[in-house]
Formats: sequence, C-alpha cells, structure tokens
Amino acid sequence: MRLALTALLVLVAVAFADPALAQRRARDPKLPPPGPAPRSATTGRVLLGGATPADKGVWTPMFGITEPIAPYDTVPFQPWAKALYDARQKSELEPHTRCKPSGTARQFLTPYGVEFVELPELERIFIFDIGGPHTFRTIYMDGRSHPRDLQPSYYGHSIGWWEGDTLVVDSVGFNESFWLDRRGLPHTTQLHTIERFTRTNAETIEYTIEIRDPGAYTAAFTGGFALGWDKGTELFEYVCQQANYASELMVGGARKSVDRSSPIVP
Amino acid sequence: MSTTRKLLALLAGGALALAGNAWAHHSFSAEFDADKPIKISGIVTKVDWTNPHVWIYLNVKDENGAVANWGAELGPPHGLQRSGWQRDTLKIGEQVTVNGFLARNGSNRMNARTVTLASTGARPGATLDAASSVGQEAPAGGDAPKQ
Repeated sequence: MRLALTALLVLVAVAFADPALAQRRARDPKLPPPGPAPRSATTGRVLLGGATPADKGVWTPMFGITEPIAPYDTVPFQPWAKALYDARQKSELEPHTRCKPSGTARQFLTPYGVEFVELPELERIFIFDIGGPHTFRTIYMDGRSHPRDLQPSYYGHSIGWWEGDTLVVDSVGFNESFWLDRRGLPHTTQLHTIERFTRTNAETIEYTIEIRDPGAYTAAFTGGFALGWDKGTELFEYVCQQANYASELMVGGARKSVDRSSPIVP
Repeated sequence: MSTTRKLLALLAGGALALAGNAWAHHSFSAEFDADKPIKISGIVTKVDWTNPHVWIYLNVKDENGAVANWGAELGPPHGLQRSGWQRDTLKIGEQVTVNGFLARNGSNRMNARTVTLASTGARPGATLDAASSVGQEAPAGGDAPKQ
C-alpha cells in the first residue's frame, strides 16, 4: 500500500508538471529518472542548456504557468500595492496580454518556454523568450556595475555571476509596465531583484527571486518556482503581435477602437 | 482492474487535464464572459492559424435566415498542435458547431472550448478540443486562470 501511495504521489507530481513532460511520462511510464545536470567540458560548471548541440530543449514552468511567486498571504504589501493586486484579480488587464514584454519572474511564466544562451567569449548570457513579443534579455557577466540614471525598461539592467553551480542575477532599472507574475504582483521603478538559477538535474532549474521594492512592499521577500526541461522543443517563432485582438476584446461595446489615449493601450 | 489501478488511472487523467490548462487563455475574463456560454453552428469561412491565438470564422444563419459572420478564438498554434491539430484540420466550407463563451464587447466573437464537426462528412461528429481556457473552474485559491 505504501508503494502504491508513493507511486500515486510521484505520478501526480509528474503529471502536474509542464504538459509536455507530463504527456511523455504518461506515454512511457518506464522513462528513467532525470539524469545529472550536464556540465561544460572546459569549465566543469553546470550548463543551462543542452549538453551537446543535438540536445535540444527549452525551460517551462514545471508546476504550471499560474504558479505564484510566493504565498500571497505572506507577501508584505504596502496598502496601495495590495489594493492594486486585488483589483487586478478582477480586471485581468495584464500588459503581457497585449504583447508587452514582461521582466523578472513573469518572463518564465508562459507555456512556451525560454532558452538560456551562454556566450562565455562575450561574457554575456541571453535569455530568449518564446512567449510574448519574441524578445530577449541580456545578462552581463563581465563584472560591470549597473549604470547610473538608467532609463526604466521592461527587463531592466541585469548583471550576473556564478556562485558554484548557481547563476546569480542582480537587476535594477525596471519600468512599471508589467506584472511580476501572472497573478498581478505590482512593483515600482525602485524594484531591485536578485534571481538565482540552480540546475539541480538534467530536467530541473530551481529558480528563486528576491524582491526588494520599498515603493510597493514593506520588506524584501523571496519566492520562486521550478523550471522543467521541455526536451526536444526548440525556440520557435511566436510573435504575439501577429494577430492579437486582446485590446479590442478588452474594450467595452461603447468604444469602437483603441488608441494611445484608451484606457487599454494597444 | 484493481481499485488502486483505477485510482491511478483516474488521477493521471485528471492531472493531465489540469496540466492542459497551461494553454489557457490569458486574461480570459477581461475579454470573455464565463456566465454567457454560447453554441453556434455554421460554415467555416476562414481559418487564421496565427499567434497568439488561432481564430476561425463561421457564417451562421439565424432563425430568420439572416447570415452573420462569427469569429471564435481557439488556443495558440503550439498548444493546438500538441493536441493533434494541424493548420488544415478545418476546411473552408466545412459545417461545424462551436461551444464556448461570448465576448464581453458585444461583437460576434467568442472563445471556443470545443469544435464539433458535422455529423456528415469525412470525420462525422468528431469533437475537437479547442485548447483554450473556457469553462475552466477557478482554482481553489479563487484566482481566475489566465492564459
């Protein structure tokens, strides 16, 4: 009976993971457990992509795209931020829906996946998104500091370094035009994030994010989720702007069209 | 089949169904009304196999014989393909019935849950999952699902 219960728990945990992984497990229950994380032949450090050019895959949220960053009853909201968060539960007017880029954790919370592209010779790592407006984020690995007087942007300015097998990314310079996660955590231009990516095996990256934003929260807090390796999927073209009717559909019947003066900016 | 095996099968099926919600529509309730289910039947006039969502268009005849063109939003191409769809699965001129939910903006638009092919034809009566979020239950936390 204990064996059956264990099998149940494993099955449910696997099946609630990303759909592709769950479907593969369902088709082939004899799939072996994940192997160790691949490592660079030259540095010995864990790789965030495939071990070889033939080893293809992207990273998707392991436990679903509505995964919260942290339990919301533990988030130290300022009153206005809590009110905005509550309003977003009803309105659902997320900029991402209208093809705006989404920085920090929200970048990973799409059903399509991301690829980490490490270019040691350029001392940069790029994170290529599939979901959203087909864009990418740059992480500078060359030891530079954040510039002063940054123009606020969707992805902010990211600098990174390795701590053992963990990639640490420090980011500032965000605009306020995106949600931190799909549920609608707000932020201000004072947002400062510290993200950690630890590939614990071939199929898993443990992702944590420390959120420091004295404009929206009374204290710093940390959350995160797991990313799963969607083996065999390669970056593909997903241009959200191709035929997106969300703006029109979000506008009530009284308004015939949307423009830059609309409550819902296209 | 033993009780344990039945339980395993049931849980696996349920879990896979929930995993499928990953293809759910973003901001569903901002665009469509879950309290307004709708079923339309008509002739396919266009299939837009595009991102972020596939749209199909139908000519629908009302009880007075007047024809109106309706648009139904399906899931994204990537999700539909994983559900077995191809961009030419639906043919122009094909008779189909679409179940889903009405747009909030008063237009002839809806979000599709299923597409059922006509009882006559090459694939009589087949019902295809539209890979969208319509009809999803809100999770236990009470937050409406998005995308």
